[in-house]
Amino acid sequence: MSRTEILSQKQLVFQRFKKNKSAKIATFFLLFLISLGIFSDFLSPCKPTIAGADKDYINGAPQIPRFWDENGFSIRPFLYSTERTRSIETNFRWVETVNKEERRYVYFFVKGWEYTFLGITFDRHLFGVDKGQIHIFGTDETGKDIFSRTLKAIFISLAVGLLGLVIKLFMSLLVGGLAGYFGGWVDSILSAITDAIRTIPPIPLFMALAAFIPDTWSAEMRFFYIATILGLVDFPTLARRLRTHLLSERNQEYILAAQLCGTSTFKIIYKHLLPSFTSYIIVDTLINFPYMILAETSLSFIGLGLQDPVNSIGVMLENATKTDVLLNYQWYYIPTLFFIALVMAFVYVGDGIRDAADPYRVQK
Amino acid sequence: MKNIYQFIAVRFGLSIITLLLISFIVFSLMELVPGNCAERYLSFKQSSGQNITFQDIAAEERRLGLDRPFLIRYSSWVLNAFQGDFGTSCIMRVDISTLLIPKFGMSLGICIVALILAYSLAIPFGIISATTKNKILDSSLKFFSYLGLALPNFLVALAVMLFSTIYFGDTLTGLFSPEYQDAPWSMKKFLNFLAHAWLPIFILGWAATALALQTVKALVIDENKKLYVTAAKARGVTGKRLLLNYPTRHALSPLINSIGFDLNRIFNDLPIVALILAITDAGSLLLQALVRSNDQQLAGAIIFLMTATIIIINFITDIVLSIIDPRARKGMLNQK
Repeated sequence: MSRTEILSQKQLVFQRFKKNKSAKIATFFLLFLISLGIFSDFLSPCKPTIAGADKDYINGAPQIPRFWDENGFSIRPFLYSTERTRSIETNFRWVETVNKEERRYVYFFVKGWEYTFLGITFDRHLFGVDKGQIHIFGTDETGKDIFSRTLKAIFISLAVGLLGLVIKLFMSLLVGGLAGYFGGWVDSILSAITDAIRTIPPIPLFMALAAFIPDTWSAEMRFFYIATILGLVDFPTLARRLRTHLLSERNQEYILAAQLCGTSTFKIIYKHLLPSFTSYIIVDTLINFPYMILAETSLSFIGLGLQDPVNSIGVMLENATKTDVLLNYQWYYIPTLFFIALVMAFVYVGDGIRDAADPYRVQK
Repeated sequence: MKNIYQFIAVRFGLSIITLLLISFIVFSLMELVPGNCAERYLSFKQSSGQNITFQDIAAEERRLGLDRPFLIRYSSWVLNAFQGDFGTSCIMRVDISTLLIPKFGMSLGICIVALILAYSLAIPFGIISATTKNKILDSSLKFFSYLGLALPNFLVALAVMLFSTIYFGDTLTGLFSPEYQDAPWSMKKFLNFLAHAWLPIFILGWAATALALQTVKALVIDENKKLYVTAAKARGVTGKRLLLNYPTRHALSPLINSIGFDLNRIFNDLPIVALILAITDAGSLLLQALVRSNDQQLAGAIIFLMTATIIIINFITDIVLSIIDPRARKGMLNQK
């Protein structure tokens, strides 16, 4: 077939990206994890907040549905029921006993707690059991379901990252744009400030900023505040790159032409200069997205970030350093696997896009 | 030679300006924390039963000099800070320098050893991964270094703790065994310190390794494409001699510049690793200052010290680089 095709820049990038096997796998994986986050309410059998806590299954181990046991085979997967008892024999401590005779069957598309998705209220969930609750990843010290919380945490982490990113982009474009377009003393001052901020280690700086949060703030306000400071502290690198790019670009003739036509400064920056930089911005954004999530997780982990009922992986791991948990309740760590997978997927996809977007890259 | 002195002078001036800017940012942050020292001192007195009025607070503010304008307080703070005097922490009621300097020295030691570890791993493995034709080796090196970037350090610390509690029954926390905690420095205490310090050093070094490895790899690949390497190949230079004498030598000099950046990254992770491993160093002191007590004097001093260290390291590495590589010096001078 001899047909000449003219490919746009986008198509070229996409073609190169498709050739990168690990990035392709990572993309599917990432989409899967993101949809887990988006549809977390539908997928979770229990309410992730304290309201959905299972008082009868505190610090409970993961319940894996099974198909057969000594009492026979069943097509429908089932769980055993557990009972909590406390008596003189157990030294008055709560002890869980598994009742193998009483099976609880797993059903799909069951009715459960209500949630709103896209403004509509639903009460169907992907799976559930006929009696009690199902905890496939176990429960924590207040009986909250770890599986449901993990899914919700993915959603929250993505949301914090996204919001932080918007703020970061806005700041970078503003500061980098002004410094790069005007040059001269404006550039000197703005660059000195961005360089200074860049030198301060970010997590100690986050910590200092997060320490201002008054105790009276609600969990949602904390969420917005944390996202804002993540974006604010993260802006210097991109702003700096943008400035360097604009400094070289602003002496081009098309800019002079626009200036002679009387186009306003901001219009020149946003209509003419920025589009020449878009692909770089997209790549940088994707590559730095996981670090935004990581910073949030670290902050929440030390207790300065998000707080219940807005939960993230960091919030879930806050108590996981206790020796008690380390020795007895290792299922507290299951969410970290999802988290690592999410960050790794982002890193691989970002890497693939960076390689694909670079026209000078030698094809291996 | 005149060039070098000019370069050092310009670079020194820039470092001082950056340091002043940072001290201003840090001081403003400290000021933003609600409440000041006068209120803290007096609230302590009130909790011990005395009646406190607004006049008392104002008098205390005058005594501590807190009624002066912002800029005057800032300049006196920054002048003292440059001489290593950070005042007293009004919550812990101790002189910050006496409390902080030994702990900061210890943290800095740990961080620098971690940095050395990171570079001694990253340079050989970076060169290997840049030049290898073995796909599996390359992608597994890539995987491990990405993992180092993707894993938050506290997770690594948690994983090591989880593992050691289950298999060794010891949590590996702290920097000393209890019997050496307050003992004066001796050979035994030093060995005990080493036995504990390897874990934070390993955890802090791991993330830095991942990043440095990527840098080395990119630099070597870039150099490898250049014409002088092709020319050397054409002259018949092959194998290790080609690799080490031509691209690697040039690829590694920009790496000196990334030392300050990597130290920044290690400092960054220090407080959290310190929290998990229950180390009493500057990092955990910072956490204490911020989370538990809102101790702005102490927190400000720690952030200032951390950043000042990074700026000093950046200054030194720039000078070293300009001596090794005249191109860097020229570029720097022409820019300004």
